Amino acid sequence: MSMLRADNVHKRYDDVEVLRGVTFEVEPGQVKVLIGPSGSGKSTLLRCLCLLEEPDSGDVSLEGRRPGRGEVGMVFQRFNLFQNMTAVENVMSGLVAVRGLSKAEAREQAVEFLQRVGVADKAAQYPDELSGGQQQRVAIARALVMRPKAMLFDEPTSALDVELVREVLDVMESLAREGMTMVVVSHELRFAHHVASSVLMMDAGRIVEEAPPDEFFASPKEERTKRFLSLVE
Amino acid sequence: MLASFDTHLFWEALSSSPYWRGALTALELTAASLTTAVVIGFFVALGVLSARRSVRSLSWIYNWLFRATPTLLQLYFIWYALPQLWPGFAGSWFTPFMAAWIALSLNEAAYMSEIIRSGLLSVDAGQELAGRALGMTRRQILRKVIVPQAVRIVIPPTGNEFITLLKLTSLASVISLQELLTAAGNLATATFLYPETYLSALVYYLAIVSVLMVIQARLEKRFTWTSGGRRRRRVGAPAVPAISHDAR
Repeated sequence: MSMLRADNVHKRYDDVEVLRGVTFEVEPGQVKVLIGPSGSGKSTLLRCLCLLEEPDSGDVSLEGRRPGRGEVGMVFQRFNLFQNMTAVENVMSGLVAVRGLSKAEAREQAVEFLQRVGVADKAAQYPDELSGGQQQRVAIARALVMRPKAMLFDEPTSALDVELVREVLDVMESLAREGMTMVVVSHELRFAHHVASSVLMMDAGRIVEEAPPDEFFASPKEERTKRFLSLVE
Repeated sequence: MLASFDTHLFWEALSSSPYWRGALTALELTAASLTTAVVIGFFVALGVLSARRSVRSLSWIYNWLFRATPTLLQLYFIWYALPQLWPGFAGSWFTPFMAAWIALSLNEAAYMSEIIRSGLLSVDAGQELAGRALGMTRRQILRKVIVPQAVRIVIPPTGNEFITLLKLTSLASVISLQELLTAAGNLATATFLYPETYLSALVYYLAIVSVLMVIQARLEKRFTWTSGGRRRRRVGAPAVPAISHDAR
């Protein structure tokens, strides 16, 4: 059974049809990288996968059922750390509010996850005082601490200064190595090449091509993919 | 320069019991009304932002009713008309202070709701998104994430509202509330020494507002999210709709 699955998902905002029947699935431990021009529906697809948006029609399932609260982790382009909480409080917040843990238990786990992403020394700092790379790593810890079955990343490095991209990609790579199921929207093609199980090209609300990275980058079949890759690379 | 100024009377008025008590009444009425107004205003603000049309309309009507009519009329209405409409308000519990508290709270809530609404809207939409992605309920997101951040934006205009309300309490003298301006007026009429009596009342107002400004500065610092509590950058002034107090 696939871990995470979208079945003929449609979504429209007012007059714009953003997703026009998207079907795809991620097996346990797979990393799928989504690329495509802006407005092609990548972010909307991620939001539908973690039920931030309810699809107009079609199904989203996690291990064959509807995802529960906090079961699919989401990392945003602009981090979206809670500005009124320190790094450790950010990571604790879901455990306390959603999982019902005591503050002491939550703090213990939060510190452990901050260590995993290498920002334990910033535990008491507010987001305002952290670099973009540090903020994004805290955001990853905040999602991971909920023990999600799958993690979604929506352009996690595109708001970062160039020299901070690496530290975030490193964390994501080690997550992938540990067997986390991931869907990543990103134009970091080296990362895609390196880490992805397969790469998907989206255009105008549809998935137009899916292939393992070697094949995808070396010999794309679709004209749309070729054109896009020639612009990105 | 001055034709005559009775310094002795000035100090005597300043330390006299009617002034003290009047100032205390004004301060109590202001604090009580503002607190109540913040609570009512918060729910009216949520109403204005509600997805339900009927709730939005009700909230809009509330704001329209209390902003479009003079505060003085509202005071008169609560004090004189309400007991005739509902005998429950004719009891001994319904003191001038109670009437003024109700009137000023209802009136101020309309203004506070606008301030709170813009405060809530000023919080980045990504904050709510992140809360939902973690699986928090809307109520949890509001309580733990949105409201604390909106507080920082709401404090400065609320300070202004405190000052406005403090001055509005003098209106309550028309429904025989013994507040600060009543005390000054009484002494002025008794002594015919207007500069001394009114100046000492003025000193009280200035003192109260000064203390408020210190408290406000502390609160702002408390709700600025850096570990040292120091302010690194000023949060931009909120887009609070310009509210004219002159007409109140």
